[in-house]
Amino acid sequence: MTIVVAYKWAPNPQDAAVRSDGTVDFTRAKSTISEYDPVAFELARRVADSTGAQVVGVTVGDASIDTSLARKAALSRGLDRLVIVADDRLAGADSTRIAAVLATVVRWIGDVDLVLAGESSVDVTEGQVAMTLAGQLGWLGLNAVSSVSASDGGYAIERDVPSGTVSMVVTGPAVLAASADAVLPRVPGMKDILGAAKKPVEVLSLDTLDVPSAQVTLTTVSTSRPAAGNRHRVIIDGSDPTAAAAELVGALRAAKVL
Amino acid sequence: MDFGLTDEHELLLDSLRELLERECPESYIAELDRTHQAPMSFRRALHEAGFASLGFPEEYGGTPCDAVTLMLLTERVAQQGLNNGYGMELLQAMDILEFGSEDQKAEILGLLATGDVPFALGFTEPGAGSDNSAMTTTAVHHDGIVTFNGTKTLITNALDAKYLLVMAKSSDRGDDSRSAISMYLVPMDAPGVSTNPLEKIVWYTNDSCEIFLDDVTVPETCLVGVRGNGFRQLMRNLDLERLVIAATCLGLAQCAFDDAATYATQRVQFGKPIGSFQLIQLKLTDMAIKLENMRNFVYKTSWMVDQGIPLRSQGALCKRYVAMAAFEVADEAMQIFGGIGVNAQTRVSRLWRDLRGHRFGGGTDEIMVHIAGRQILREHR
Repeated sequence: MTIVVAYKWAPNPQDAAVRSDGTVDFTRAKSTISEYDPVAFELARRVADSTGAQVVGVTVGDASIDTSLARKAALSRGLDRLVIVADDRLAGADSTRIAAVLATVVRWIGDVDLVLAGESSVDVTEGQVAMTLAGQLGWLGLNAVSSVSASDGGYAIERDVPSGTVSMVVTGPAVLAASADAVLPRVPGMKDILGAAKKPVEVLSLDTLDVPSAQVTLTTVSTSRPAAGNRHRVIIDGSDPTAAAAELVGALRAAKVL
Repeated sequence: MDFGLTDEHELLLDSLRELLERECPESYIAELDRTHQAPMSFRRALHEAGFASLGFPEEYGGTPCDAVTLMLLTERVAQQGLNNGYGMELLQAMDILEFGSEDQKAEILGLLATGDVPFALGFTEPGAGSDNSAMTTTAVHHDGIVTFNGTKTLITNALDAKYLLVMAKSSDRGDDSRSAISMYLVPMDAPGVSTNPLEKIVWYTNDSCEIFLDDVTVPETCLVGVRGNGFRQLMRNLDLERLVIAATCLGLAQCAFDDAATYATQRVQFGKPIGSFQLIQLKLTDMAIKLENMRNFVYKTSWMVDQGIPLRSQGALCKRYVAMAAFEVADEAMQIFGGIGVNAQTRVSRLWRDLRGHRFGGGTDEIMVHIAGRQILREHR
């Protein structure tokens, strides 16, 4: 039995800069495992530890995602092995294309009955890859997953929805997108990091994978920041705290905030 | 010459950063400082994540680790703003792991595993600071037991420690030399041991105490290592201690510098950020030069340890320079903050206080001259 963790090697948002037009500049950011993916690693490891399954990490992207550091970063988070598709033809690929390649890799790995992923990537933040992957595989897809554990013949899953928490049991293969606060991922220690270099890595060529050709081309025409809103620019003299507090409350009431 | 970090260094620092964000934010450190508490929960988190056993031998559940890596971690914890947050327990453990009995090793490692402070180092006395051979605490061996009498002072972490690693003179040696000094692991709750906390202006997250030993009698199994060899045993890890202190100072100074540089971009006076004034830029530039020097000194010295190159005066030179330069950086950082810097709630005021303590903790600036100066002359005869 195999559990796949689909993750992204993405720019670190701590290194990002905000341009004057409000857009985010990631060009100088170092890459790291996308911020929302460690949750998926942790859930996968916990399920695998209880079932004896193998955890395989899968990532696809341009050539820059395959570095020694990137491999060890992933393998130090509880993976048993790693599969990478690194090809510059995937640079800037849309979520459907990414999902198509991931689906092909999942089929290539074989004997996979669970795929876990983060809720979205930290840089693109579309939140579509996991569910598109489920569709590509013809599997059940669930997002907002807060808990998953092995159950008789399948998995027990909890999802946080606006009305509360839904508990369900799933039989058959599924793709689950974990919510960002589903679980607190463990921090890789020295032993995990040193052991990472010894774990197997397979790099697959995009040309050898039978990925269906893209049916649609996607071109981003423009981006714009949200409307700035109507700033009142009220400055209150704070030298008299009591009077300042009263004035602040009055201003907030006038703005219908309170 | 490759000054880059290895993949393992980067990943380890990344993990530590995650742990610090979760378990040791500034609000936690500030509260500990305000209430004079030790960072127990952070220590436990470090242990659970495997960081606390780095550098220990594998046969004792540790992961062997080189000095460069240990100093990188020590610096990073200090850069979070936490003084003495990493490395000190390793030093303590090494004293016991190298010279202690199996029972002593098991006891100390067990305490470390729970995030406790295994022991406080009972070395300094009212009349014996830098001149440690002037200590007067006695250890009288008789009938399979040892009786201690004496006073220790400025003992760090005494209130939290389960044991005191007492350095005392065996009474039948009859001389004042260092060869009379032996090392003993004495329970802090042994009858006759009493403590008096000292109110100090530095290191609020580490208590300092006077410890009075009045006819404290414990089994002779409390001896650590060889009788009469205590001073030599203690010296064995002193260079590593100086390096840990230097890495701590480097991290704290970096924290102060980053705070000051950020403040200089935000504080507006005379219609401009104060960072646009040349005098502030001069301060920041000289601070940056000192940080670069400190960093090079710490990691060159760590590299020498890893290569097995005898340090000779290097450890003392490093500790002296880094402790002094780090305090100068914090002092200039406080100057950049102006009146806000002396507010007790600001981080820079805490960093300034804590760095001042390192100019005598682990050996004074002046004793480092004494150590290094003699070595320099020896090398030039």
